[in-house]
Amino acid sequence: MDENKKKILEMLAEKKISTDEAYRLLSALETGRSTAEGTAKSGATTKVNSKYLRVHMVSGSEHEDSHKGDHVNVRVPMTLIRAGMKFTSLLPPEARDKVTGALHEKGIDFDMRNLKPEDMDEFMEALSELEVDVVNSDGDTVKVYVE
Amino acid sequence: MKRPPMLVHVKIRNERRGFGLWLPIFLLLPLALAVFIVAAPLILIAIPIFWPSGRRKRALHIFGAIFEIICSLRGIKVDMQSDYDYMYISAV
Repeated sequence: MDENKKKILEMLAEKKISTDEAYRLLSALETGRSTAEGTAKSGATTKVNSKYLRVHMVSGSEHEDSHKGDHVNVRVPMTLIRAGMKFTSLLPPEARDKVTGALHEKGIDFDMRNLKPEDMDEFMEALSELEVDVVNSDGDTVKVYVE
Repeated sequence: MKRPPMLVHVKIRNERRGFGLWLPIFLLLPLALAVFIVAAPLILIAIPIFWPSGRRKRALHIFGAIFEIICSLRGIKVDMQSDYDYMYISAV
């Protein structure tokens, strides 16, 4: 029996809480545990399955003539994104404010102070499901996906 | 185990000429180790300086984070081509 369950039962025995309250606390404990296990499992799957973030851009002219035309093919390891995020969290607050300000000036409303290490797993999991596929009228394609 | 990239492959080509290079990064590792050994006393001096400002933890973690970023570069690939220019960088 784990420590939390024991405490709840002790409180019930000492009549500090009612049977209903004890039941609710035990249920909440179980729910919290299963959620944590689920998150851990899905996090492990992300780590195993998603290895690279791919950015693939092909200009429309390449489709017509395979020897010419612009293309960009970038493969970024997911570990680099994770390490980069970890590094960002080590930036001094003044530097983060400056970066946030610079991003805001460029029209990007992103506050770096909201980037916390504890949200990293959730972010990586969300990123593993990312898929962007854009084709414009000239035939230019942009694909961003995780493999 | 995390380890930094051993080789970097660079290929650059334009309309007239081009070249390809395999850069042996692993040859720089002993040099990096030597630099770290030389810098270690400075790091030890920096820690008490940063101690009152509350930045000691950050100062200590920053080296680990930089090493992690370098190690994470393994597998990166950038392949870009315009009409006549081509650039390829890959770390293995």
